[in-house]
Amino acid sequence: MVMIPSFSVSRRRLLAAAAALPVAAHAPSVLAQNGPLKIALLTSLSGPFASLGESMRMGLQLFLEQNQYEMGGRKVELLVEDDHGKPDEALRKVRKLISRDRIDVLCGVISANIALAIRDVVADAELLTFISNAAANDLARGAASPYIFRPTKTSWMLGHTGALWVHGHIAASGGITLGSDYAAGREYIGDFIHTFEAQGGSVGQSIWTPLGTADFAPIIMNLAAAQPRFIYCFLAGADAVRFLQQMKDYKMHGKVPVIGPGALFDQEDVIPAAGDASMGGISSFHQSPGAPAAADFVRAYQAARGRLPGEASTSGYATGQVIKAGVDAVQGDIGNKAVFKDYLLGNAVGTAFGPMHFDPRNNQAILDIYINEVRPGPDGKPFNTVIHTYERVRDPGPKA
Amino acid sequence: MKTAPALAHIRTALAAAAALTAYGALADPYLLRLATEILLVGTAVMSLNLVTGQGGLVSLCHGSLFGGAAYAAAMLAQQTGANLAATLAIGIAAGACLAFLVALVSLRSNGLFFLVVTLVAGQLLWEVVFHWREATGGADGLRGFTSAAGRPWWSQPVWLYAWSAAWACASLMLLRRYLRRPAGIALQALRDQPLRMQALGYSASRIRIGAFALSGAIAGGAGALYPFLNLYISPQAVHWSFSATLLIMGVIGGIKTLHGAFAGAAIYLLIQTYLSSYTDRWQLLIGLLFVVTVLFMPDGVARGLRRRGGP
Amino acid sequence: MSYYLLQALNALSFSVLLLLTGLGLTLVLSLMNFINLAHGSFFLLGGYIATQWLASGAPWWLAFPCAFVLTGLIGLLLDRFPFGQFYARTHLMQVLLTYGLAIIFADLMRWGFSADTLTPPLPEILRGGVWIAGLPFPTYRLLIIAAGIALALALWLILDRSLWGAALRACVSDRDIAETLGLNARRIFTIGMAVAAGLSGLGGALGAGMLSVHPGLDEEVLLLALLVVVIGGLGSVKSVIVSALILGFVDTFSRVWLPSFSSAVTLGAMLLILVARPQGLLQAQARTV
Repeated sequence: MVMIPSFSVSRRRLLAAAAALPVAAHAPSVLAQNGPLKIALLTSLSGPFASLGESMRMGLQLFLEQNQYEMGGRKVELLVEDDHGKPDEALRKVRKLISRDRIDVLCGVISANIALAIRDVVADAELLTFISNAAANDLARGAASPYIFRPTKTSWMLGHTGALWVHGHIAASGGITLGSDYAAGREYIGDFIHTFEAQGGSVGQSIWTPLGTADFAPIIMNLAAAQPRFIYCFLAGADAVRFLQQMKDYKMHGKVPVIGPGALFDQEDVIPAAGDASMGGISSFHQSPGAPAAADFVRAYQAARGRLPGEASTSGYATGQVIKAGVDAVQGDIGNKAVFKDYLLGNAVGTAFGPMHFDPRNNQAILDIYINEVRPGPDGKPFNTVIHTYERVRDPGPKA
Repeated sequence: MKTAPALAHIRTALAAAAALTAYGALADPYLLRLATEILLVGTAVMSLNLVTGQGGLVSLCHGSLFGGAAYAAAMLAQQTGANLAATLAIGIAAGACLAFLVALVSLRSNGLFFLVVTLVAGQLLWEVVFHWREATGGADGLRGFTSAAGRPWWSQPVWLYAWSAAWACASLMLLRRYLRRPAGIALQALRDQPLRMQALGYSASRIRIGAFALSGAIAGGAGALYPFLNLYISPQAVHWSFSATLLIMGVIGGIKTLHGAFAGAAIYLLIQTYLSSYTDRWQLLIGLLFVVTVLFMPDGVARGLRRRGGP
Repeated sequence: MSYYLLQALNALSFSVLLLLTGLGLTLVLSLMNFINLAHGSFFLLGGYIATQWLASGAPWWLAFPCAFVLTGLIGLLLDRFPFGQFYARTHLMQVLLTYGLAIIFADLMRWGFSADTLTPPLPEILRGGVWIAGLPFPTYRLLIIAAGIALALALWLILDRSLWGAALRACVSDRDIAETLGLNARRIFTIGMAVAAGLSGLGGALGAGMLSVHPGLDEEVLLLALLVVVIGGLGSVKSVIVSALILGFVDTFSRVWLPSFSSAVTLGAMLLILVARPQGLLQAQARTV
């Protein structure tokens, strides 16, 4: 078993480190510019998404370490807060960060419901916020705010490109969709079906399964009986692992193409546990360990943590890249929010996802979406290999 | 000898009222919101204390009663705009109705079976809330339900705090009186001597339904105000794990007291919010707190402190 | 026809999984009247132990006894302190104590084993499938079915049918009288607790191949186990077997026919059972006040 180094840096230690750094000793004045730049990461370190949350933290910490915790000429103080996977707790933390800790930038957020919960609070406080991982379509549409940037994908981007790929390369009909029955699942599958039908295809049955299903056997048996041409599937975390394993147990692996949004075959969260059961899987994702833009990050992450990065760690790293681009542009004067925002909306930032533009209508990232296929990598283990890239995919945005 | 305890009670009540008012006047919005959350959740815990501490029935559905009322209030606000009286009314009604249904279903159950019945009933409500996306927003929760008429004046931090404190105090006084009246005494008697009560001709069903409905109404009133704290409500408020948390808060504060509920809620929420900023191992510490409470202060903090301070 | 046969086999394997989750809890709750909310933690720990063992290359069939012994040892230690004093306390106090311990264990395990989902690498012999009526059925599930049935039978024989089981139940019903009859209640409880913990761990070791271990599994399993054991009725192993079968079949076939509503259907079934039979399916013989 690989011993994972404990990256649980406590806030106390970070404060001590920041205090020890040679910060210009100005009297407490209106110019907070000479103090450290306070960036807060709101992530899930407990609850159902704990592994994703830890990966996101590692990605961001790796970026900050590579840059000596410095942006735009200022020192950076990182505060990490755990939302426990619960919106109520997240709200309390965010309010605390805003009123008590007086942070300059908020980033992170793994799950969609937490992103939607805090949206009003950060928008009212006019706090620069970067939603690193949550994919809810609404944040690019009705719930968008000029202060909230989303340096990651929307569910639509993945469902849409998945449909394009399946329709063009696999089959135009005779498929079945399978999804976890909650908001994210409904979005991915819904967007997939919408685009698929717009292309002229037709989707057969849609199967929904409760979140946290232990036994997929009855469903897999139904799938085996129906003999579909493909299965478009959204499952994440332990559900994805169980599904892939059980597909293999029931000898369905390899018989039917399984395609899904990247979470189904996440390089860090699913593939290590699913192993060979994930071979041949196809996914549409904004992240790939095989993407050229990610090469340096993949090397650094592998050296630091001993494994290949998945979406969550890459999103932490990419968020750091985006924030730094903005802070550099305003030379550390984070109070100058107008210039900060204009810079990000007007320039592309090179990130580990690929080149990232932001849509001025909703501050949503415009990204290259990769079609990954899980193939044996250089060491024979399953590896998400890029087989196609849809460039500069833009979410339809408001009034969609 | 009726005047001395009555005077003491009046003095405590005045002191509490003064403290609450002073807090309301001096605290900033962040602290006000924190206190509001403690008051609302504490009221739910207090309603649980009625059923569990006084009634002897360990319930795992009170979170669902609270959350169900919260959803009812939020959905009403979405339809008709947020009116304080209407919000409270629907919360109380929803809480009481849901509690009534649960009481009906669990009438013949006791002990561990009662626990499981309430857990299952609460989870059924969660399934409805989680899957009825069109009405409740599903997993994403419900937000923007006040956009029609704009944000209500009473959802501003100071006013929401004031109303929450008022509801908490009113509920506390109501429950105190209830426990001194025949119905309340019968509830406690039913907890201690069920067979004897039956022999005396009391209807256990009626007592339980009455206590449950009252408990639900109180939790419902608090639940109705809850979504206006953040203008957001998520299915987490209806999940059984929230009910379990309420139970934990109740036991920490002293399950047989009424005011201990607020102490328990405060301790739990403050630790959860502040401790996790300092260490990843905050859950370990919360677990240790529970274990220590059970080993050294089994009657909860409220009684435990009094024992140490008293004769 | 064969399709329904296979789905019935799926249901059976799920029922046995439920049974495995509930075995340890049955012993402790049903027979010793001690609510052990740390049961899920033992299950998860057994799963982690099995995963580590199978990944280490040691003989695979030793993984399961190893999980049993190690978790049993922890049960033994916990019985010394603090469970021992709590057998006679109220359920509420037991709930708080074991819930606190469950939180502590969950955090320790997350710290030690990381938050990632892990699957035990099964040996080749267990990885294949057999063909039943033309459809594939995984070998591992057959193992689980066999192991579960064997364990259930063993437990039923020991607890419902043997003198030791009767002694255990006597100590729970009326400790003082049992002790005057010469039974060493303290030792009987200790053995009971250790065996219960070991069984939970063994269940976890067997279930890991199907469920994959991850933080949060302990809560899932605890909930399932609690429901299965209580709905069956307390006081015997037979009741939990019946309950596991019914719930397993209801859950599986609701997944086959109504996959979106399967949780609601299962919960509804549970509620109906409890309303119709408030003391569980097979109501305990002794009258309790």
